[in-house]
Amino acid sequence: MAETSNGAFEPKVTAFVCNWCTYTGADLAGTSRLQMSPNVRIIRLPCTGRIDPLFIVKAFERGADGVIVSGCHPADCHYTSGNYHARRRFALFLELAGFMGIDPKRITFSWVSASEGGKWRDVVNDTVTRVRELGPFTAYRELAGKP
Amino acid sequence: MRPGVQRVMKTRSISRENLAALVADLVKGGTDVVAPARASDGKVDYRRVAKFDEITMNGGMPRRSLKEFFLPPTEALFSWKQKQADITLEPVPTTFGPAVVLGARPCDTAGVVVLDKVMGWDFRDELWFGRREATTIVSLACSGVDDSCFCRVVGLSPETEKGADLVLYPADGGFLAQPVTEKGEALISAHSARFVDAPAGDPGKATAGKEKKATAAAAAPATPGGAKSETVLPAGAKAGTAIPAGATAAPASVGTGGIGGPVDLGSVHDWLADHFEHPLWEAIAFRCHGCGACASVCPTCHCFDIVDEPEGVTEGTRRRNWDTCQEGRFTLHASGHNPRAQQNARFRQRVMHKFYIYPEKFGETLCTGCGRCVRDCPGGMDLPEIVAKIAALATKDSVRS
Amino acid sequence: MQELRDLARKLLSDGAVGVVIGYEEGPHGVRPAFITDGADADKLIFDRRCVQNLATYLAPRRNHLGKLGKKALVVKGCDARAVAGLIRETQIKREDVVIIGVRCGGVLRSDLAIGNGGSGNGEGGIGGGGAGRPAAGAVATGAAAVALTPETVADRCAECDIREPHLADHLVGELPPAPPVSKRREELIAKIEAMTPGERWDFWQQELERCVLCHACREVCPMCFCERCVADKTVPQWLESSPTGRANFAWHLTRALHQAGRCCDCGECERACPADIPLGLLNRKLAQVVEERYEFRATDDPEIPAPVGSYKLNDTQEFIL
Repeated sequence: MAETSNGAFEPKVTAFVCNWCTYTGADLAGTSRLQMSPNVRIIRLPCTGRIDPLFIVKAFERGADGVIVSGCHPADCHYTSGNYHARRRFALFLELAGFMGIDPKRITFSWVSASEGGKWRDVVNDTVTRVRELGPFTAYRELAGKP
Repeated sequence: MRPGVQRVMKTRSISRENLAALVADLVKGGTDVVAPARASDGKVDYRRVAKFDEITMNGGMPRRSLKEFFLPPTEALFSWKQKQADITLEPVPTTFGPAVVLGARPCDTAGVVVLDKVMGWDFRDELWFGRREATTIVSLACSGVDDSCFCRVVGLSPETEKGADLVLYPADGGFLAQPVTEKGEALISAHSARFVDAPAGDPGKATAGKEKKATAAAAAPATPGGAKSETVLPAGAKAGTAIPAGATAAPASVGTGGIGGPVDLGSVHDWLADHFEHPLWEAIAFRCHGCGACASVCPTCHCFDIVDEPEGVTEGTRRRNWDTCQEGRFTLHASGHNPRAQQNARFRQRVMHKFYIYPEKFGETLCTGCGRCVRDCPGGMDLPEIVAKIAALATKDSVRS
Repeated sequence: MQELRDLARKLLSDGAVGVVIGYEEGPHGVRPAFITDGADADKLIFDRRCVQNLATYLAPRRNHLGKLGKKALVVKGCDARAVAGLIRETQIKREDVVIIGVRCGGVLRSDLAIGNGGSGNGEGGIGGGGAGRPAAGAVATGAAAVALTPETVADRCAECDIREPHLADHLVGELPPAPPVSKRREELIAKIEAMTPGERWDFWQQELERCVLCHACREVCPMCFCERCVADKTVPQWLESSPTGRANFAWHLTRALHQAGRCCDCGECERACPADIPLGLLNRKLAQVVEERYEFRATDDPEIPAPVGSYKLNDTQEFIL
């Protein structure tokens, strides 16, 4: 969570992205000078298959208001099947986190290829807008002090 | 009460209404009141309460013991902040606001005083004694026991005063209040309008003793092996055999625990001293899961772990958390070696610590017979059954020699 | 019952196994039995109070059981799913265990099955009593035990499709009638799903605040078989070990997630929890998701691949942009 000079809430969003597709796509968005929200911190990983759901938990623990997980489209995985495994894992994570009270709107999963700079911009802007509407994730942060 | 050690204090009585008013007074005056009360799931825990209505006096045995109010499951020891080469340590407060525990089980109050020994023998634990000194403990003599209770096995009773500052005994329309310590007396003096002197001409002890006997008799009908009375089983509970057919244990006599009365803990201690290696230990813990649920509900298990919980890179908190010798990790060395590599060794440690090591060092048994470990064990381990087994082995040995 | 005892006696006297792990009467109700001598085989019982999942004693980390030799294990259908899971995930070999399947007509809720099912209950007495719960020691034995009704039957029996374990070397008993069905758990899950995220959050915080991270849920779980749990790792430390609200949330989310498609729904975690946290709801919710999305139900067929760790090209992905 951060605040701008006029006191408005600016969400902090952590993005876990795969090296081969989404990271390159995000790079393309940058070199193409596409305008997008500056609220996203990118963490690059080899593959969505490397992204443990605990990464998302940790991001919330450390103050993220929203999380993006993004990687290669099905059939495009650099390691053949990492994204297929991730797809199952994140479906389960999202359902469970929702069941335990995390608003699923705080979490975005997407497939963004190396050529989809525009899609990355949209994913970022959509997520930031959504999380801005939800407000800061204070409920999670308050857990740290209990008891 | 130990005659000659403390002066006999005058017994008072307090009506339910006045007890409710006392709680209101305390809360209003800024004193934390902790008492058995229902949690969100309807079960009884010791909780901070805001008014008397929340309290379940002599309701179910609270799920966890009283120890968590003196040694919380997790507590901060200090926190740190780092800025370049500067590191600042922020201590935690070691003085605490006043608190009153109301309606504690006698086995739980006894547990607290047993733990005073280990918390103060070489290093005085500031947090433990800070809370101890700020807290007045008012216990309530048990008017119901079940077949997992075994306080008599460890030399206590459903109305033991050990660890209490003031003991309440159920009486018509309210309670008799017997102060045991100066602190208990002080609580009464500070709220003297709520208490009246106990009836009958004889001052103090005599009356209290008589009343107490009457109370205890009503509470614990001692008909060994017989059907339990309504006092013990709540109305509506299914009557059934107290001990399942085929059980090896002797029939329970109510109020003396599942294995029927006091055990010679001295001989248990002596046997344990000489039998660290014995076939008993080989077979003792097959059904034990090593889950440590017993330790987390125990009024006397007090082992803790100290960990640093960083908050990012430059700040964090050092905390101490409950730990248990029943988990393999407890004794795991950095090398990978584990001196208690198997569960039976870990369970031996539990028995040894409670009935040999602690008594040897501090002269107290590290068990108050609350029976929680029996009730909560998912594997069906039964500490009093094991103690009885050891007592039997000890007797056999002494006969042989 | 006699069939079970005779079989145990024979397995032990033949030297086929070193121990038969089954159920016996303990001082406070049914408990796990370790029969190593044929003469003790008559201690074995099986009835609707036998709620424990004995497959948990097969996990390789239970090293102190090794000295007993080869194990024979009494399993209900639901327990057989755990044995199959351990084989599926290469924790044990099929030939390492003799499986004595018992035909099962359902079991009681654990609080009704075992007399002193935990502290914190009761009105006048200590352990027992209270809302529909018998006092400790008041649980009658054998045929006189509480009858199975939709109120008294274990939650998991509603999902039972293995009343006669297929994965068994020996099958004993007559097939009793199907148990009554309890809708308790499914209704509670539906109720939680109907809440707003904020209400769900509050519901779970109220339950999880009692957790002291004792990890009893993990230790009794037959499918928590990791040699070293992620919760015990310190470098890097993914899960904090101090039982704060934050650590409790992270632990329970992680535990349930690691059991997705693995949980055999035996209810041991919930039974063991000294804080009575309804952990079974998390497991069951994920089981529903796994069945809906990946057509996998906990099964006693070890050949069917685990749903997490396998995939299909056309798995649902409506939640991915």
